[in-house]
Amino acid sequence: MLKALSNIGRYLVMLRAVFSKPEKFSIYYRQTIREMEDHGLGSIGIVAIVSFFVGAAITIQTDFNIENPLLPRYIIGVTVRDSLLLEFSSTMVGLVIAGKSGSSIASQIGMMRVTEQIDALEVMGINAAAYLMQPKLIALVIFLPILCALSVALGLLGGYLVCLVGDVVPVSDYIYGIQYVFYPYYLAYAMLKSAVYAFIITTVAGYYGYHVSGGALEVGRSSTQAFVLNCILILMANLVITNLILH
Amino acid sequence: MITLKNLYKKFDDQYVLNDLNMTLEKGKCNVVIGQSGSGKTVLMKSIVGLLEIDSGEILYDERNFTRMGKKERQLLRKEMGMLFQGGALFDSLTVEENVMFPLNMFTSDNYSSKLKRVDFCLERVGLRGVNQLMTAELSGGMRKRAAIARAIALSPRYLFCDEPNSGLDPRTAIRIDNLISEITREYDITTLVNSHDMNSVLEIGDKVIYIYQGCQCWEGTKEEVLHTDNEALNNFVFATRMAQQIKDI
Repeated sequence: MLKALSNIGRYLVMLRAVFSKPEKFSIYYRQTIREMEDHGLGSIGIVAIVSFFVGAAITIQTDFNIENPLLPRYIIGVTVRDSLLLEFSSTMVGLVIAGKSGSSIASQIGMMRVTEQIDALEVMGINAAAYLMQPKLIALVIFLPILCALSVALGLLGGYLVCLVGDVVPVSDYIYGIQYVFYPYYLAYAMLKSAVYAFIITTVAGYYGYHVSGGALEVGRSSTQAFVLNCILILMANLVITNLILH
Repeated sequence: MITLKNLYKKFDDQYVLNDLNMTLEKGKCNVVIGQSGSGKTVLMKSIVGLLEIDSGEILYDERNFTRMGKKERQLLRKEMGMLFQGGALFDSLTVEENVMFPLNMFTSDNYSSKLKRVDFCLERVGLRGVNQLMTAELSGGMRKRAAIARAIALSPRYLFCDEPNSGLDPRTAIRIDNLISEITREYDITTLVNSHDMNSVLEIGDKVIYIYQGCQCWEGTKEEVLHTDNEALNNFVFATRMAQQIKDI
């Protein structure tokens, strides 16, 4: 219990350092663009593949579960769209990025810690926590909602192709369904959740990397711990945000 | 000049620095020697502020570092250069970007004047033409020299070197030692070198300080270190059989 409280305290102290004024805006700006390229553009591939197949699978499963002849066929399109928008895309992309970028952030910062690169930054008079985490945080908070929106689009595309090739639902019904009573608010909700996940992923992974001590073994361990905690926190945040906004 | 007064630092209940007093002189290589675990690295990290001391005072030319706020410390740190044991070069950057890093952060010079300064620093440490190499492509000695180039990029007033020749062959080690010594005299800076390598001590130790169990046990010059009556220092200096035989001769 004491250890958990101590960790929370250290996390908050680190956050305070992360939100300090940058030493030089131009350097942080360049770094942010680089992080967007690494963690944002670099994640499009995996997000696209996962979203496409999940979208296709949801379409088949929804069709399999809705056998009532009284229900219109376009309801499958509605269900796929809302499932992706409300739950799958944001949470799934969050978990994927926690694995890909979160682990990378924890191990990158952890290696910098054990090889004294963070000490070198601090001796130069640079706020190492802000320099290392602020650009990553900004990059992911901007890019994760974009990835979430992309995931919804590609999930719907996956469903469309299943309808086209697999004779699941008539394509016209599916197209009608995904456009039927669309609330743009759902998209805003999904993107808001993604922004919160991005904050969790970056700061938790950064915390584990920043406070690692030892060698390669400890860096690997901290990266795994960061991923596990990120997954738990993302699912908890999902529940809290859903309860606050949709309940 | 750096003055340390009554420095105490403990981890759990174990004092690593125990009422330590010393003066590091300007324009000289002040070499701190001691066994592994004697507190050399803790001392250096405390002086630069990477570790907080429990009590005592650290004065940088009469400026009290221990009483400074965060911003004052950051300003003072721009006057420091530090060479870490492993070099601590940023491995995602090229050699040029590494040396240019402090210039990018703290100067508003244009690119060409920064590049000129980088080239000057690299040439000074004998690393001409390696600007575009990644740090992983450098040998151990080159890495140390690149780290020295980065440390002197902002013309520091204080230079700290933690085991500068650890892991290097004797010839490269002496080259690094001489470089540190030359830079110290050239720029008239206060240099602190941590070492347990006696070759290094005898090569560059203008002032030698021996710490034992967290206290300053002996102080003198490199000439005096071989002829002292201090038992603890003698046990350290003449620890090997070969050194003992040389002493007997």
